[in-house]
Amino acid sequence: MQAASYTPEELARYEAIVQRYARHVYNIAYRMAGNEADARDLSQEAFLRVYRALRRVEPGAPLESWLYRIVSNLYIDLLRKRPRHRVESLDVPLETARGELARELPDAAANPEAIFEREQIDSTIQRALGALSEELRMVAVLSDIEGFSYEEIATILHVPLGTVKSRLHRARQILQERLRPYVEARRRGWEP
Amino acid sequence: MRLNHHRAGHLLSAYLDGELSPQDAAGVQEHLLDCAACREAYERLRTTKALLGELPPAEPPAEFWAALRAPQAPPRRRTAGRAPAAPDVSIWRGLTIVRRPAWALAAILLVVALAATPLIKGTVDRLHATEIGVDLYVREHAIQMGTGPLADRAYLGLVATDADLVLVGETPRAGAAGP
Repeated sequence: MQAASYTPEELARYEAIVQRYARHVYNIAYRMAGNEADARDLSQEAFLRVYRALRRVEPGAPLESWLYRIVSNLYIDLLRKRPRHRVESLDVPLETARGELARELPDAAANPEAIFEREQIDSTIQRALGALSEELRMVAVLSDIEGFSYEEIATILHVPLGTVKSRLHRARQILQERLRPYVEARRRGWEP
Repeated sequence: MRLNHHRAGHLLSAYLDGELSPQDAAGVQEHLLDCAACREAYERLRTTKALLGELPPAEPPAEFWAALRAPQAPPRRRTAGRAPAAPDVSIWRGLTIVRRPAWALAAILLVVALAATPLIKGTVDRLHATEIGVDLYVREHAIQMGTGPLADRAYLGLVATDADLVLVGETPRAGAAGP
């Protein structure tokens, strides 16, 4: 690998980039893919690209947009490479000969006590995220989990600001329907 | 600016995120004072956003960090616990034979001999088979076709290995060396 000739300073710079961004990259990958194996592969591939391009990266330049765009593109590539695992968005109505059918997800809060368990909440939210189309999910992850502004999201995803706005609104509407028991419990004053 | 219910509903998320122009934000705020349904929708969106924001960061597994560290370093592809010098050692192990040429030559000769033996033996066997085959054919032919084996010159020639035999009572052919 040509990169074997990196100087100790360059390697130190790479290590610094890893230290600074790896957790965020992994978190985004995990929330997008919904499992540890894919999150790890996506993140490692993203940092391999950083490593290869290290000499072209300006020292000290903010890499968020670039890195998160890499993760986003890698995730889309991953979905394309897996045609057998048909990706179906649960918020899209099911087309049948007798018309459209809305899908019904199992009620996560059938057991009322489960509402108050942190792990249960996390896995329910993750499932609700996974039920979104990847376009909506990416915007929701970047905005509500990673806290990026609309403008930053537009830069990361290479889409217009208005698209970010409408996708995020749609994503939240779907999520609040999926998470209704938790949303209602919170509004009644429950805090985890 | 006064916003209608539909338009205000679409702007609720952006209002929640502080991403509206001051003019639109004022319009939504005004609408919220009048519209209980939009206040309800706004509260649900706000709570949904809060739930997502409270998700703990996914913790990467230990091997994730190991894989990210210096992709060019050989230890990354080795099994854990092996010394960084391991690759050098293994390379020299592979080259050890070159440092003992006599053994190397002997080994190569042995391999060549083992490989060649069946080939040579096969060729010799085939040559034998060719000789015997012709001989057998001539004998068979002589026995079957001749009036009597001992009157057949070809057969007698074959047996006595002399093609110029003179049979009893036969006149020697011209040019043939006779007694």
